[in-house]
Amino acid sequence: MGKAMELSGLWGMNRRVLKIRYPWATLLLIFLILFTMAPLLTLILGSFSNSTEIGEFKDFGLQNYARAYLRQSTLVILGNTLGLTVGSVLLGVTLAVAMAWLVERTNIPCKGIMYAAIPLTLAIPGVLHAISWIFLFSPRMGYVNRWLMNAFDLSAAPFNTYTLPGMIVLEALRVVPTSFLLMVPLFRNMDTSLEEAAAVSGAGPFSRLRRITLPVVSSGIIAVLIYETITVLETFEIPGILGLPARIYVFSTKIYAVTQGLETPDYGQANALAMAYILMAAVGVILYARATRRAERFAVITGRGYRPKLLDLGWWRYAAVGVAGLYLTLTLVLPLLVLFWTSLLPYPALPTEKSLALVSLDNYRTIAIYGATWKVLKNTALMVAATAVGTIVLSFLISWILVRTRFWGRRLLDMLAFLPRSIPGIVKALALIWIFLVLRPYFPIYGTVWLISLGFIMSFIAYGTRAVTASLLQIHHELEEAAYISGATQLVTFRRIHFPLLVPTFVGLGIWSMFLSVRLTGLPLMLYEGAENQVLSVFIWMMWDDGQMGAVSGLGVLTILFLFLVAVVMRRMGFREVGGHR
Amino acid sequence: MVKVRGLVKKYEVDHGDVHAVRGVDFEVPKGKFFTLLGPSGCGKTTTLRAVAGLEMIDGGEIEIDGQIVTSVPRGVFVAPHRRDIGMVFQSYAIWPHMNVFENVEFPLTQLKAKPPKSVIREKVLRALSLVHMDGLEDRPAPQLSGGQQQRLAFARAIVREPKVLLLDEPLSNLDAQLRAEMRFELKSLVKRLGITTLYVTHDQLEALTMSDQVAVMHAGTIVQISSPRDLYRKPRDRFVAAFIGTSNFFEGKVLTIGNSNQPSSVDIGIGTLHCFLPEETHRGAKVVLAMRAEHFEISLDKPAGSENTLRGKVSNLLFLGESLDCHIEVDGKLIHVKAPADIAIEDGDEVFIRVPPERCIAVDIGES
Repeated sequence: MGKAMELSGLWGMNRRVLKIRYPWATLLLIFLILFTMAPLLTLILGSFSNSTEIGEFKDFGLQNYARAYLRQSTLVILGNTLGLTVGSVLLGVTLAVAMAWLVERTNIPCKGIMYAAIPLTLAIPGVLHAISWIFLFSPRMGYVNRWLMNAFDLSAAPFNTYTLPGMIVLEALRVVPTSFLLMVPLFRNMDTSLEEAAAVSGAGPFSRLRRITLPVVSSGIIAVLIYETITVLETFEIPGILGLPARIYVFSTKIYAVTQGLETPDYGQANALAMAYILMAAVGVILYARATRRAERFAVITGRGYRPKLLDLGWWRYAAVGVAGLYLTLTLVLPLLVLFWTSLLPYPALPTEKSLALVSLDNYRTIAIYGATWKVLKNTALMVAATAVGTIVLSFLISWILVRTRFWGRRLLDMLAFLPRSIPGIVKALALIWIFLVLRPYFPIYGTVWLISLGFIMSFIAYGTRAVTASLLQIHHELEEAAYISGATQLVTFRRIHFPLLVPTFVGLGIWSMFLSVRLTGLPLMLYEGAENQVLSVFIWMMWDDGQMGAVSGLGVLTILFLFLVAVVMRRMGFREVGGHR
Repeated sequence: MVKVRGLVKKYEVDHGDVHAVRGVDFEVPKGKFFTLLGPSGCGKTTTLRAVAGLEMIDGGEIEIDGQIVTSVPRGVFVAPHRRDIGMVFQSYAIWPHMNVFENVEFPLTQLKAKPPKSVIREKVLRALSLVHMDGLEDRPAPQLSGGQQQRLAFARAIVREPKVLLLDEPLSNLDAQLRAEMRFELKSLVKRLGITTLYVTHDQLEALTMSDQVAVMHAGTIVQISSPRDLYRKPRDRFVAAFIGTSNFFEGKVLTIGNSNQPSSVDIGIGTLHCFLPEETHRGAKVVLAMRAEHFEISLDKPAGSENTLRGKVSNLLFLGESLDCHIEVDGKLIHVKAPADIAIEDGDEVFIRVPPERCIAVDIGES
């Protein structure tokens, strides 16, 4: 009798706890719906509105679409976008798969350097990477071009980086580090007995690679391909710096160019263009979600303790390490050197006796005394901090509901956290402009750094939720239950048990979002409204537009060094950046 | 068919080398089933993998069918894919991106002289039918149960009719009932095919039931090679006696020396036991006697012949269904005894236990 009472009491309590949990989960769900769907809806509405005022909806019709799509140049843009995406993804992922296989499964030398240096290339922001390539390969002032022309007496520059192939090569190099980080665990976790079974079945090394190793990791490779496709599809920095001057547009730069229209920015047309763009990205995201589900099925098959026997490449390993060395030279060493060299000069020049005499720290002095610099740094710090905190808090709340409650809307919540990832950064910025111009009287954050943070948070919670969910799942139920049994309330349990165990994830997530929000240029550039919300990446873009090459280089060197430091800290904490965009 | 001589394998660890295998010699005659038995970490799997060529060795030679495949002194190493072997892995290593048919077909497609399609198909189907997997050819590999994966791995290993079949704990991932079934099936299959088989296991039951010969390994060396019966009846040392079945050990001192008809007597502290000792043993030597739990006779009344009889108290009783597992306390020493299930004894009963002299085995003979 007493037992029955207790039991029903327990049940009652349980039900009460669930009831208490529902309201704030529902609140969060409503918030997320507004947070993610409202910008999208404004964007769609705006694409049909023919008002010349942004933020005003009237005279609905299809004129924007006509202006955007009924012209041949749109086909060219589509072709450029696909060319850039397909070309750089295929090239970059192939390189990454080869290097991941080399370091994990063969006896290639210098593995330590490759493990450390390849992820480090992530620290170079796209804009600075593109700028360094202009210093190296532009037809007029490119150091490499001029050196080759002098050395071999050429009449024309051999390389031109202001072309689609030029962009494809650079973008491909930038695809490598994330793909490499995604591929390494695939090769590492693959059950080695699968290859051994092929060996005792009579298959030689090449046959094993072709028939067993590559097919087994193929679903993983496909997932990486789709993932990188989404990333390159929304990339802005490379086509922005290299493509805009040559009027080679892709979707992201075209939308930016349209909103910067000489007389009146044509936001209606930008919206209409964005629709096709969103569609492409959404297809990619859906495919990615499917591919990773399949990849998990394969990933379950992992081996036991034997260390894989490394393949002896013989003399080929020196060729292999040469390719890796060339990659690191082009991606890491040359860009850094060229930025540093240019930062010491009043104008870009090849290192000669004459130019050596010009070396000074003047550019750094200019940066330091230039009034805007400090305002920009303050803005950047505020924006980065808000982004990090927002990402952590929102990711945690969503993950908590997903993992630890039986809230009815969990699937929806999960989807909403992932949805914004399918909206390219430029489009997200466009949507935010629309909605916060409309909401300006109530939420006056248009034109502040907070709007930039909001945009980044929208992008980052997709990865943040996945990271926190993974950590939460690792905290066994019984750890929490043991705390309850010891008499701790839910709040105390969270503070004393969950929080300390989650701190490494939170810190890692914070550093990760800081890293990205410093590097990405597209979204803050779209939202740029003046000194009030100018952040570092926009500042660099503007200075480059002004032609201040020396100062840009100096600022670039400082930024990259700072990001290197962050990257090293991040790796020290064992937090790998794999979920990111660039 | 398989000869292993002086096999040595070292692993580098942070502080120096660890010997996984320290000088192993054995020979598997053609068509025989040879088992390497031992606890985990004894070097049995390393030895098997060395025979397969999956492990580089630091000393010794391996010969398969008259051909030296690995030799450290001669600097010979034949890659695993050039050895005529089949192997079943502990994890089965079924390729997840192929279906059942493709998995079995693969070894045939790697032959130097690739047989025609029809021959390949016939051989694959025959191998699958041998393991009772007819009709499952098109099933994707990830959709197989544990038992089916095991059968598939076996079919794949034998489809080329290799000279030597290597089996690395193939039954350890199956549940108990399936394991018992597969033991019989595997044995009869291997016998029928007549393939020379090298089998690795830590399960004494598998080793005893399936093998022609068993090599017991301990800490990187082989401590005894013999037939399963001899392994059970005449363990050479204390490790083997303890590893196979449940044994009781008594340290004692030789009192009198007998001959082949007349047992010697040994003082074990709680009494005197008669047993047959090796000829070279002399009086006063210290010996360790091993007696298996199931070789004791247990009775409530004093048995007629009082030889080798000890008196004690039942202190712990476990009913196992087919037998009774009990501890008998004799002068403060616990003796593990396995009794018939129908004997009527209770905890605390006074009982007599007796062990025949021929069941007392001296496993460790020291100097006086």
